[in-house]
Amino acid sequence: MRKLRQPIRLVLASLMAFSLVFAMAACGSTPKPEEPTVPEVVDQPETPAPDPVELQIFAANSLEKGLPEVQELYTAQHPEVTFIETQFKGSGDLVEEMKAGGSADIFISASKSTMDTAVENGNIDEATRVDLFANDLVIVKAVGADITINSLEDVKNFDRIAIGEAGAVPAGAYANQSLFSIGLYTSDTGKDGEYDAAIASKVVQADKVGTAANWVATGDCQIGFVYSSDIYRYDGVEVAFVIPADSHKDIVYPGAVTADTKNAEVAADFLKFCQTDPDAQKIWSQYGFEVL
Amino acid sequence: MLKSPRYRLSVLTALMLCMGAVFFSVPAQVVAAAPDASASTQALATAPRSGAATGSVLVAAATTEPAAPAIEIAPDGTTGTIEGERFAITDFTRLNKGTNKFYEDSYYGYRYPMASEDGFVVVVIDATHALVYIKAGEATLLQADAVARQKDPAFLTLLSALDSKQSNGGQTIASLALNFEYTSETEVSRGSYTYRFGVEVEPGRYYATVTEKGSEDGSAGALFCVTGRVVPADGVTIEKAPEGFAAVVAFFNSMDYRPFWVSLRTSFVALVFVFVLGLLAARASLKINRRLQGILDSLFTIPMVLPPTVCGFILLVLFGNTTPFGRWLINHGIELVFSWPAAVIAATVVSFPLMYRTARGAFEGLDPALSDAARTLGWGEGRIFIRLTLPLAWPSIAAGTVLAFARAMGEFGATLFVAGNYPGVTQTMPVAIYFQWMGGHSDVATFWVFVVILISFVVILFINWYASRTQRYRRMSAAEQGAAPAPPLVPRVSASESEQR
Repeated sequence: MRKLRQPIRLVLASLMAFSLVFAMAACGSTPKPEEPTVPEVVDQPETPAPDPVELQIFAANSLEKGLPEVQELYTAQHPEVTFIETQFKGSGDLVEEMKAGGSADIFISASKSTMDTAVENGNIDEATRVDLFANDLVIVKAVGADITINSLEDVKNFDRIAIGEAGAVPAGAYANQSLFSIGLYTSDTGKDGEYDAAIASKVVQADKVGTAANWVATGDCQIGFVYSSDIYRYDGVEVAFVIPADSHKDIVYPGAVTADTKNAEVAADFLKFCQTDPDAQKIWSQYGFEVL
Repeated sequence: MLKSPRYRLSVLTALMLCMGAVFFSVPAQVVAAAPDASASTQALATAPRSGAATGSVLVAAATTEPAAPAIEIAPDGTTGTIEGERFAITDFTRLNKGTNKFYEDSYYGYRYPMASEDGFVVVVIDATHALVYIKAGEATLLQADAVARQKDPAFLTLLSALDSKQSNGGQTIASLALNFEYTSETEVSRGSYTYRFGVEVEPGRYYATVTEKGSEDGSAGALFCVTGRVVPADGVTIEKAPEGFAAVVAFFNSMDYRPFWVSLRTSFVALVFVFVLGLLAARASLKINRRLQGILDSLFTIPMVLPPTVCGFILLVLFGNTTPFGRWLINHGIELVFSWPAAVIAATVVSFPLMYRTARGAFEGLDPALSDAARTLGWGEGRIFIRLTLPLAWPSIAAGTVLAFARAMGEFGATLFVAGNYPGVTQTMPVAIYFQWMGGHSDVATFWVFVVILISFVVILFINWYASRTQRYRRMSAAEQGAAPAPPLVPRVSASESEQR
């Protein structure tokens, strides 16, 4: 019998150790996002409380920090509107996701061309399309890294260059356009081209612009092509070089209501809120987006 | 015999301790990161000395007062106090960009929102010049008039510390050798740019604006702006970032545990399907003719060798909006892509072969004479499967079940492909690890890494323990039967069979 008990004890011991960790983890139960209480309609009983609406947004990865704050602000002003957790991916990925059947109410892209593709796919209500923000392209380095870049040509001096995969990541396409301007990339659209032999083996392609920024922050890459707004959302990266704005297309974030949404009115109102609300503007301003 | 469990127990304990140590060192990093404010304060205290030659206001102060006053900054970087001063700064915001946007068809310039009408604004014009606007009345709090203020750097020191806290990698006031110019005027012109302060663009909303002559884009007139309010220090309390154990608790409190529950829910539901389908498939594949068996077996096993992305791709094509079949499903109300059922399907597909293969292996290993004997007793095929085959093959099936569960829990590629990353719905632990790391939350990612390692560890431990138990039984029965080792598992069942006879 003793022989049998020992392995049981063994398993018991491990189970207890395991459950201990989880008891600790669970001791503070998950703080759910505070749901704003709907103000009771006492004075005006004639206006019924608006129906609750849940908005699903597909947004460019670079908006990952700023947009949730603006959503919170909107929910505070419109308690009936809440947001299903927003999908922040490369704009090209999101276009594919919508095409494959992922349903969204709003799409905010980081480039006009990805929005055009979504329009061609029939996923967008084109009448609602507006240009929301402007951004800049910069080359970043890890904070305190001994790296100086005086011109775009200097990128040749580095062994690991993080650039978004141009098909899915608009920041990558903008980066390639600026590389085209100095002859290091073969296509002026920044897509479907090839890198010059001088940098071809040095470019590491990222699935989102945030990934590129993260690789630089962790030191896996020496420099990366990201938006100036990305330095405000990632610890550990700083600007090494501001890429001349005339070397790539204007970085504009178009937003639009999707074609198959059931909440078109609220969705359009949220897009307007993003552009015109002064408090929302302050958030964009903090995260480095210029409201258009 | 006696020695090995003890040895294993000690190894286990050591492993658990190691894991625990690494695990708890993660929140410690959070603790280390928390006093950012003091770090930036120190940076500021040393920074002015390096720029001594520029003759900026900060420099003058630092050289005359060697001991830097203590600065306290709230964790969110909006409020700060400085030791021995009557004022504090609240509502501090760093504005990296402004906007040229018109308000009701009027152009106001490139505008930055101010903290309030009586708030201060520092416009960093270029790498060497900054314009500090403080409303005349507010200056009293800073103890003197504009001239005296320039000799009193406490305001700038605190301002710069707050800026460093919020800048997060952008150019900071501390990193630039700035010459600060004070003004209480609401309109100042420098070069071709005009700076206006306290401009009420919307009712109750005040802005600092930059306009360039003959242009509707003043954005080149400033690098960035900071704004805030100067208030009496008495009314301001700084809440401190939690430290030590409190920080650990805060970390666990702020954790989103939904990936754990999503993983558990997904894998258990997948396991139910896998268990039933795996057993049936294993049984069916042994019943049919030999030639078909080979093909069917390859078909059932292939998800094990295929990359999960291939499985994901096939599932996406099958159920997605791009194929006639997928559209047909969607038109009939079955929208699977990017939903929780899709996660279950992905987990089922990739863990199915593990169940199937172990069950099939166990069935193959059984003595066919046993089921033949049962048939002579008039047992139906179903009864033989449930009463005879399953109990005999149970140890392997149990191991297969646990393995399939672990595989379902570890599923990443196919899940990401067809179910996406929806927190609380399809975001399982492996998906959470990837996205948390990519999102810069390496502490959260590390937490999930350890949870997954622990679960896997327990799973393997269980399989080993279970296997050793059944083997011990075999050895014991072999000893009872005498010297000749009996074929595995047969004796016990033949004994019970004979009882029934």
